[in-house]
Amino acid sequence: MPMTPAEPVSGVTAIPDGEGPPPGVGRLALPSRIKLQEYTLVVVVLALVVIGAILEPDTFPTADNLRAILTQASVVGVLAIGMTFVIATAGIDLSVGSVVAAAGIAGGLVVDSGAVAFVAAAIGFGLGLGLVNGTAIAYGKVVPFVATLAMLAIARGLALLMSDKSPISLLSSDGVRWFGTGEIVGVPVSIVIFAAIAIAGWILLNRTRYGRHVVAAGGNREAARIAGVPVRRVVFSVYCLSGLLAGLAAVLLSGRLASASPVAGELLELDAIGAAVIGGTSLAGGRATIVGTFLGVMVFAIMFNLLTQLDLATEWQQIVKGAIILGAVLIQRPERI
Amino acid sequence: MSFRRQLIAGVAALAIVAAACSDDDDDGAGAGDETQADTGGDSSETGETVTIAASVPPTDHGWLGQIAAKAQEAADQWDDVEFRLVEAADADSQASQIQTLINEEPDALVVLPYDGEQLTPVAEQAMEAGIPVINVDRLFASPDAARATILGDNYEIGVKAAEFLAEQLDCEGNVVEIQGIAGISVTTDRTQGFADTIEELCGSGINIVAQQPADFLPDMGLEVMEAILQANDQIDAVYTHDDDMAEGVVAAIENAGREDEMILTGAGGSCAAFDRIESGGLYAATYLYSPTMAGSAVNMARLIAQGRGFSDLVEPEVPSQIVVPPTEVNQDTVEDLRDLCFD
Repeated sequence: MPMTPAEPVSGVTAIPDGEGPPPGVGRLALPSRIKLQEYTLVVVVLALVVIGAILEPDTFPTADNLRAILTQASVVGVLAIGMTFVIATAGIDLSVGSVVAAAGIAGGLVVDSGAVAFVAAAIGFGLGLGLVNGTAIAYGKVVPFVATLAMLAIARGLALLMSDKSPISLLSSDGVRWFGTGEIVGVPVSIVIFAAIAIAGWILLNRTRYGRHVVAAGGNREAARIAGVPVRRVVFSVYCLSGLLAGLAAVLLSGRLASASPVAGELLELDAIGAAVIGGTSLAGGRATIVGTFLGVMVFAIMFNLLTQLDLATEWQQIVKGAIILGAVLIQRPERI
Repeated sequence: MSFRRQLIAGVAALAIVAAACSDDDDDGAGAGDETQADTGGDSSETGETVTIAASVPPTDHGWLGQIAAKAQEAADQWDDVEFRLVEAADADSQASQIQTLINEEPDALVVLPYDGEQLTPVAEQAMEAGIPVINVDRLFASPDAARATILGDNYEIGVKAAEFLAEQLDCEGNVVEIQGIAGISVTTDRTQGFADTIEELCGSGINIVAQQPADFLPDMGLEVMEAILQANDQIDAVYTHDDDMAEGVVAAIENAGREDEMILTGAGGSCAAFDRIESGGLYAATYLYSPTMAGSAVNMARLIAQGRGFSDLVEPEVPSQIVVPPTEVNQDTVEDLRDLCFD
C-alpha cells in the first residue's frame, strides 16, 4: 500500500509541543500501542482477503475486483481521513454524509458552466459548511456532537431545497464523469485521489507541526494551550478540512453516479467514524493514525464487496458485519487502557 | 373481497386514473378528450364547499414529493374544495399532526401514513369524530380506520416485471434483483410477486443470482451493483424496485461498459426512466406506481364529503377500496403514457 510509512512508527499520540518540545519528550513517545493495532488490523484485512479467495475464487481475488473495492472505498476513505483529524481533537463530525449531498447539488447547479465550476462549487460549498461547523464549535463553544448534528439536518435540507428534491443529471459533463470513470496511467482517478489524500493526510498528521497541534488539542487541551498550541484555531481548522474533503467526496461520488442526488450519502458519517475508530483513532481524542484509518476503510470496503458477492441475505449481512467490526476491535485491543 | 367489489374497484380505478390523466393534460390529447366526456356528469359539477386536510410523510423522495404535488393539483382544480396539506417527519409527529387536524374539523381527511400500523389508532379517532378518512397507499391495520382506501399493488409489480423479463429472456438466464428497504411490506411484496411468477413461468430456467437491498437510494444502488457486477460474469436482466435507485444501478452497469449485456426494469414511473426507455437499450421497462393516486384520493375525499358518488358507477357512494394496477411502460407504450411520469 502506498501509504505504509517508511518508518515503522506511524501513529501519533498527544504530546503537546509548542515552539519547542522539552528535551526527552519526543513527539513519537508512545508509538507502540498504535503500531500494534495497525498490525493486527492488517491481519483482519488479510483474513478477509483469504476468506474471500476461498469462497469466491473466480471473482474475488482479481485485479479487477481490487480496483472495484478501492474505487468503492474512495468516497468513505476521503471522508475518513478528514474524520481522523476531527476525532483526533476529541471532536466528531456527524454532518459529512449530508454535506456530501449538499456539495454535490451545489456543483450540479453550476455544471453547465463546466466541470471546473462543478468541482469548485462542490468543494467550496463543503468547505463553507465545514466553516460553519468550525465556527460554532471553536468560537461558539457548541459541543461538536450537537453542532454537527444540527449541520446534518441543515445540509440535508439545503440539498433538498437547492435541488427541488430531484436528482441533477451530470451525464452531459464528461469532465465530472472523468472523476468516476477516468484513469490516470491505468489507475482509476478516484483511487489516485484517495491515495493522494491519504498520503497528504499522513504527512500532515505525522510530519508537520500542525499535525502535532491537532493531536495535542485533543489530548490534554489545557496543557496544549499552556504549551502554546493555538487550540481554538486548530479545532476550527479540522472541521473546515472535514467539510472540504466532504466536498471532494461529493465530486468522486457524483462522477461515478453520473448525477447529483439530494438523498446521497445517507449514513456515510457512520462508516467514516467507524473506519477511523476501528483503525485505532481514539474517540476520546489525542490519538490518531491515518494508516489505521486506511485499514479500517479497507475492512469496510472488502467486507461490503465480499458479502454482496456472496449474495448473503441482508439479515445475515448485518449480523456478520457487526461481528467482524466487534472482532476487529477486540483482537486489536491494547493490553492496557 | 367479493368478485363484485373487485370489479367495482377495478372500474373505478380505471376511471380515476384516466381522469387524473386528463386533468394533467391541457393540450387535450385524444385519450384525454374521450375520458373527459365519460367523467363529465355529476362528479365534476360544483357542489357545496368542503374542507379537506391531507397528511403525508416527509416528501424528500421523488415519489413522495409527487404525492404531495398531485394531491395539491387535484385540489386546485375544484372551486368547491378548501385544501390544506401538512408534512410530518416521522410516525409520532404525524400522529400528533392528525390529532391537531381532527380538532380543526375538516370535512374529510386524506392520510398517507408513515406507517400504516402505527397510525391506525389516530385514524380511528378521526373516524369516530365523524371525519371520513381516505387512506392512501399504506394500509391501516383496521378497516374501521378509513372510509375509503386507494392503493397500488406492489405484488403485481413483481408479477408484471417477471412476466416481462421471462418473455424477453425466453425463460433462460441470470437475473439480479435490487430491492428497496429491507423489511418493509413494499419490498417484500415486490420481491414475492417476482419470485413466485418467475418460478411459475420458468421453473429453474431463470436463475436469480443476486438479491440485495439498496434502500431506494441511487448511491446505494450504484455501490451494490458495482459489487454484483464483479461477482457475476453474465447477467441477463436486472429487476429493480425503484426508478430513482435504478439510476445508480444503471450508472454502475454503464461505468463497467456492460450495458449491452443485460436489460433492466424499474418501478415507480419517473420521467428520467421514461426518457431512458424511449431511447432504448438497457432500460427496457418500468411499472407505474403512480403518485396520481394522491390526486384520486383528494377527488374521492371531495365526493365523500359532499355525499356524492362517482358518476360512472351506479352506486350512490364512493367505493371503499380502489386498487390501482401497475401499468407497464415499455418502448411501445412510453409515448402514450408520457403524461403520467413524474420528475
